[in-house]
Amino acid sequence: MIVPPDGLVLGGIAPALTLLVAAATALILGTVRADARQGGAVALLGLAAAAVFAVRNLVDPGAHGATFGVQWVVDGASAGLAVAILVGTFLAVLLSWDAPVARVGDRPEFHPLLLLAATGGVAMVHAGDFVVLLLGLEILSLSVYALSAWRTGVREGEEAGMKYFLLGAFASAILIYGVALTYGATGAFDFASIGAALAAGAPGPLALLGGAFVLVGLGFKVSFAPFHQWAPDVYTGAPTPVTAFMSVVVKVAAFGALLRVASEAWPATVPSLDLMLAILVALTLVVGNLGALLQSGAKRMLGYSAVAHAGYLGLAVLAAGQGLASPTTVVWYLLAYTFMNLGAFAVTHLVMHDDPQGDRIEAWQGLGARKPGLAIAMTLFLFSLAGFPPLAGFFGKALAVRAAFDAGWSSLAVLALLAAVVAVVYYTRFVFAMWFARAPRAIEVAPSDAARWAVGLAAAGTVAMGLFPDVWYALVEGAGAALALVP
Amino acid sequence: MTLWMLVLPLLGAAAAAFAPGRLAVVGAVASAVATFATSAFLAGSGALSVAWLPALGIDVTLDPFGVRSVLVTTAALTMVPVVLTAARRPVDERRRYLTALLLMHTTLNGVFLATDLVLMYVFWEATLLPSLFLLGTFGGRGRRGAVTKYLVYAITGSFLMLASILAIVPLSGAASYAFADLLPAARALDPVVQTWLFAGFAAAFAVKLPLFPLHAWLIDFHRENPASGVADVAGTLYKVGGFGFFAWAIPLLPDGAAAFQPILLPLAAATALWGGLAATRQEDLKSMLAYMSLSHMGVVALGVFSLTPLGGSGAMFLLAAQMLSTGALFLIAGMLHERTGGFDFARYGGLAKGAPALAAVTLFALFAAIGVPGLSNFPGEFLALAGGFAASPWLGGVAALGSVVAAGVYGVNTYQRLYQGPPGERRADLRASEVLVVAPLIAGILWLGLAPAPQLERIDASAQIATTAAVDPTAVPPHAADAAEGPERSPASTALAAKGGER
Repeated sequence: MIVPPDGLVLGGIAPALTLLVAAATALILGTVRADARQGGAVALLGLAAAAVFAVRNLVDPGAHGATFGVQWVVDGASAGLAVAILVGTFLAVLLSWDAPVARVGDRPEFHPLLLLAATGGVAMVHAGDFVVLLLGLEILSLSVYALSAWRTGVREGEEAGMKYFLLGAFASAILIYGVALTYGATGAFDFASIGAALAAGAPGPLALLGGAFVLVGLGFKVSFAPFHQWAPDVYTGAPTPVTAFMSVVVKVAAFGALLRVASEAWPATVPSLDLMLAILVALTLVVGNLGALLQSGAKRMLGYSAVAHAGYLGLAVLAAGQGLASPTTVVWYLLAYTFMNLGAFAVTHLVMHDDPQGDRIEAWQGLGARKPGLAIAMTLFLFSLAGFPPLAGFFGKALAVRAAFDAGWSSLAVLALLAAVVAVVYYTRFVFAMWFARAPRAIEVAPSDAARWAVGLAAAGTVAMGLFPDVWYALVEGAGAALALVP
Repeated sequence: MTLWMLVLPLLGAAAAAFAPGRLAVVGAVASAVATFATSAFLAGSGALSVAWLPALGIDVTLDPFGVRSVLVTTAALTMVPVVLTAARRPVDERRRYLTALLLMHTTLNGVFLATDLVLMYVFWEATLLPSLFLLGTFGGRGRRGAVTKYLVYAITGSFLMLASILAIVPLSGAASYAFADLLPAARALDPVVQTWLFAGFAAAFAVKLPLFPLHAWLIDFHRENPASGVADVAGTLYKVGGFGFFAWAIPLLPDGAAAFQPILLPLAAATALWGGLAATRQEDLKSMLAYMSLSHMGVVALGVFSLTPLGGSGAMFLLAAQMLSTGALFLIAGMLHERTGGFDFARYGGLAKGAPALAAVTLFALFAAIGVPGLSNFPGEFLALAGGFAASPWLGGVAALGSVVAAGVYGVNTYQRLYQGPPGERRADLRASEVLVVAPLIAGILWLGLAPAPQLERIDASAQIATTAAVDPTAVPPHAADAAEGPERSPASTALAAKGGER
């Protein structure tokens, strides 16, 4: 039996380790026999095993605390977000079960890359200092850069990969610069010490600049406006299963990191950072929702809708970061978002056949009459994203807005709800096309039972979280979502 | 008993959606009848409370107290003929019709019964979807525009209300979103805060009432809805804005209500007048009914915004009564459309000769709608106007002009243009299946018209809570009491009895 050195608790990093082992296994097996199904099976097994560890971290208070110095934090928020990442990756693997065979079958790196990206995401949400955060971010980002350019020979795909890589590298550089400035101002990398140092006296311009750069760097990853331009382009250019994956996993990981930084490293005594975040949130709410209104294709619309949802999540992070609302709100919203957004992309994948030119609203006309099951699922996802009760998205938005009211950001809360009116219009346009328009031609849906399972599971999650919101909320809150960082 | 009001129609919806063949229709009709039968015993049954999201004080609480049970029972009665009519649709449409209707019935009952503010909002929003579906799937040529207009009006209003709902607990420090917890906490709020919160509620409730000038969606909604009238009646049941004001906004935020009364009361009178006048000028039956219904809603609003127990009780009684009378008229319009293929009055005339029973039923429903004493609308209209007069004699007069004088004109005109004059083509009289449809509504109209006292007593219990601010001047700041000052202070049912004696 391997006994870890003193001060190291392996249980906390078990989810990430399991993913890493699964990624390595899939990679090695792939060199023996290039078979996408084999990689997918290993990925599913690895994700399920990692989920067991993550859930254990969530429900067992004995597993909570900081380990590896303070670099790896296990508490309700991080374990809950890790579960969301694993759920999102699991559904994405199901979704791509049949899809990549045609183009990807001879390239066994697909599933290892997915697993590595998930590993990076899990590291980010558990990060207790900027070093682990950066490590996780780079592992996640490099894998996703490669995945988003998966369709070689397709101009949109290559453009997406290149654009994401260049802008992402730029954002990483800004983040690293911000971390360096923060270190210069406080002499620490771990969030707790930074927070204590900033709270001790009035922070100088160095610390504020560092904080601003960190905010910009993470803001790029969570697609806050005005750093959001990559999102719609990359979402459209990447293969739809990859889009589905990155739209949820990257968002969960980046918001997890932002939540931790905002609540631990930026104490309430530094209101200027909160103000900066609030301005970004307001901008994101307006730009995301108005931008989505102008789109004609589902993938681009969902790309802007992802920006809009970053606004609502940002609202919750803002309130939680000030300690005036529970971080559970963010964790709850992100799992709900994982189900509904991944589900929406899953149906899009089935309807569009991954045709880069097929991203038009006409593709959806008459789906209600031809494929009622898929149309009902898509309607659920879109209504949930729009915030209709009693679906998951309603409680997501309601919790976020309530958190904003709790923290005294009343005008932002009202702005968020007014922006949500716009959101209803662009989501329901697709619903109307599905149900109230006649199909111009026969609709052929990609034949994939695994992808149907992904749609079904996501729909079940979307409905169940709306009907029984307290199950997940109590689980995360009960695990002491008050962030358990020990300096 | 209370929970059954949600379970029964939901079971019916499930049967309509999934049961094979005729069983779907049988299940749907049985659930509608069972819901009504059960709702008759609702008045005495207890409240239900289950934790939903306790960390934020959100619970599933349902309580049939007072006006809530009256509205649920009347809506359930109206639903029976609606479901019967929908069951006669062609096979391919029937399933979708019945499912949407019964889902709507479920959520509508939820709106009436919920005593948790967030739960009420959930049902409020959920009711929108089936009615959108009915309009969008089966509506006329302009349905896309009508759906979008309806959606934008409704959503804008309800998201502003959601802002007020979510803010009310953090601002007031109430323990939860339950009515009982909110009542003392919200009333203690600063009048300025109350005014802002009330504005949010008013946005949603005024659109759904609908109140002039936010009524544009209503006319398009009725014009584009399918001809059978089924969706129109469902839409009529969903005009719950007055209930929202009466049961939530006014009791929780009396200072906000008092601040808004000078704006809302004239708008209510304008709605009653504009609806009545416009109804006299319409050239087709459905638009006429849409404006007539708007006029009724103006009177409902007048009673509610009078902030007197009398006016509030009358308004809620009228809200229940117009479900039956307006519902009957929309269904009759559907029957007429089946015979002539259109709604414009030019197609009609002289129908009474060939269809005397249909003519009699129409006249009866029209009389009920224009407030003839002894029929359902009269007690409500009378009390609501009396409340309006108490609050402002001028505005009460304006509203009466629209709802009583204009009503006489459009009521008689409509009957004349449909049934009298030179007989045209001979049309079939009332069929047996149609008798089955109108009979429950006629019975209901007589029931509310001849014995209003029991229902008014139940409503009065709610009205006392809604307007304690007006009754007990010690409980609130003086200006709220001033606003609601009126000569008439006795409970509504007594006032009506006195009026009956005079007659």
